[in-house]
Amino acid sequence: MADVTSAPDAATLERPDTEQSVLLEVPWVTLVWDDPVNLMSYVSFVFIDYFHYSKSKAQRLMMQVHHEGKAVVSSGSREEMERDVQAMHSYGLWATLQKGDA
Amino acid sequence: MSHFKSRRRGAVYAELPPHAAILLGNLARQLIELLSEGEPHQRIGDDPLEALLDFGAPRDRPEDPALQRLLPDAHRDDEEAAAEFRRFTEGTLRQSKIHDATVVVVCLDEVTDGEVDDVELELDAVQARCWMRCLTDLRLALAARLYIRAGEEDSWENLPDDDERLPLFEIYGWLGYLLESLIDAVRR
Repeated sequence: MADVTSAPDAATLERPDTEQSVLLEVPWVTLVWDDPVNLMSYVSFVFIDYFHYSKSKAQRLMMQVHHEGKAVVSSGSREEMERDVQAMHSYGLWATLQKGDA
Repeated sequence: MSHFKSRRRGAVYAELPPHAAILLGNLARQLIELLSEGEPHQRIGDDPLEALLDFGAPRDRPEDPALQRLLPDAHRDDEEAAAEFRRFTEGTLRQSKIHDATVVVVCLDEVTDGEVDDVELELDAVQARCWMRCLTDLRLALAARLYIRAGEEDSWENLPDDDERLPLFEIYGWLGYLLESLIDAVRR
């Protein structure tokens, strides 16, 4: 049973989808690629720390990177994705940006 | 044992044997040197804004495999876009990595000076993140030197005892252990 007795805490809300450029025709995406070096715990930590994703979303994206070789971790305008990719690189994650859904 | 424990307000704490602290400081210094290679030297008195806006000439992808991994292409199938992204961002990315490594060097310098007993290290939440990024960069650079590829992460376990790469693999493993404990401590 879901617990609805407590109000959602804004700090734990995931980045809402409406924030992801619904007005742009073709959004850009940031992809994170699997690499043999980065620790799984670190990759999830980065997704929580930088994107403020929930623990479960961060974990799911990390597992997708691990098993499928890559995952779309954010989407938005080209400029936003350039910022995200540069941030991922500063954390040492292997990230690229491209147009569309990858 | 050298591992991190959590303290109040996101701070973390570790005790490191002096030789480990010195080793880590040396690695971080080497990383700074690696990232500074070929970079225009910033002189004291240079206008920081001018330096920030000085994107300079186009940059080639670094030839060194370690630098290639630390400063990867941002576009996979578009050489032109990758080159342009590099031209406008690589300098800043190098600076942020140099900054992280410098935080590690400074933290260690403060505690290792002539110390013979285990050194006590306390990092605040911001410093802890600089450490995480730097430990990651060190592992990425070492992995490039050791040619660690997907599926071969544990290949060192089969190396003969006298293989000259073994000490590096041990350092690589230790850095991973230290990073894992740091993440654990920060999350608590």
